[in-house]
Amino acid sequence: MHKIILRIVLDIGIVIAVFNGWWFIVLPLSFVGIWLLPFFIEIVIAGLIYDSLFGFVPEMGIWGYVGTLTSIFFLFIIALIKGNIR
Amino acid sequence: MTYLRTNSRSAQHRTRAVIAASTGIVIVIALIHIISPNLISGIWTAIARPFWRIEFSVESGAIRSIETLVAENEELRRRMIEIGARLDTIHFVELQNSELKYLLERTISTSTTNSILAAVLERPPFGPYDELIIDIGKDKGLTVKDKIYAPGKILIGEIGAVLGKTSKVILFSSPGNKYEVLIGPRHVPATAIGRGGGQYEAHVARDIPIKEGDFIEVPSLSDLPFAVVTSVISDTAQPFETILFAPVVNVYQLRWVLVEKQ
Repeated sequence: MHKIILRIVLDIGIVIAVFNGWWFIVLPLSFVGIWLLPFFIEIVIAGLIYDSLFGFVPEMGIWGYVGTLTSIFFLFIIALIKGNIR
Repeated sequence: MTYLRTNSRSAQHRTRAVIAASTGIVIVIALIHIISPNLISGIWTAIARPFWRIEFSVESGAIRSIETLVAENEELRRRMIEIGARLDTIHFVELQNSELKYLLERTISTSTTNSILAAVLERPPFGPYDELIIDIGKDKGLTVKDKIYAPGKILIGEIGAVLGKTSKVILFSSPGNKYEVLIGPRHVPATAIGRGGGQYEAHVARDIPIKEGDFIEVPSLSDLPFAVVTSVISDTAQPFETILFAPVVNVYQLRWVLVEKQ
């Protein structure tokens, strides 16, 4: 039960931070989520929302997709580390 | 002898599931983005816009007490009278400037009457790109590359993407952007590089006299002063000095901008 509450709290924090463009708050919250909770796909959704709101402009090139790419990278890396040490 | 497994099968399955889900999401998003580039942005911006509007209203003083607002109103009226007097002088100089340019067969537009006022809803901090989100878009007929001015006809950026009721403004100071500029009263040519946060830098020979407060012109973007020199960093061991400059307004404190349609 407490994991569900933790997940909801993290998700609310992540949504507020993403809407304000505070990626430096989204990342630590997401790391906590990935580490403590199973299958924390919210980080990828957060990256996608960040890019949808502030990126996805052709002029930005690859930087316009940095949120989605970074979130997938961290999800993959932390999930891999978790899988190996647990 | 029996050993404990360091990796459980469930953990491996979880990792595979994460990889598969991430790959699936990326493929689906990429397909949607290719078919309709503004669809995903439009949906999320439509969801975020009411929250941005509320934030903007709160920052604009919508929930402050009546006494505070009245006092602020009085203070602003007093400052407006002061500024109005100074503006008359500026108008006179501008008129004189226009007349001289007309005599030299060189006319420019200094009017902002054809511009549309837009509220700055969001300015993502510490982002990989300098950007503002404004509260008008296709509903006001904006198009990509429309010029964005800070109050006072200071060119700061251009429209990067237009959505239904919002637009994304890319500031000229985005990191890596390069412009040919003219510095100071001697119009020293240099290449300016955006550093983000409304800041630019350029390198010029150390023996060229440039001081803080000198105007910067960018002929390719605007005929009006573009920025002012904020700092000159000189090292006696180097043949060049670094000139830092920024627009006269702080782009991250802007609440309103003007959009000039092409």
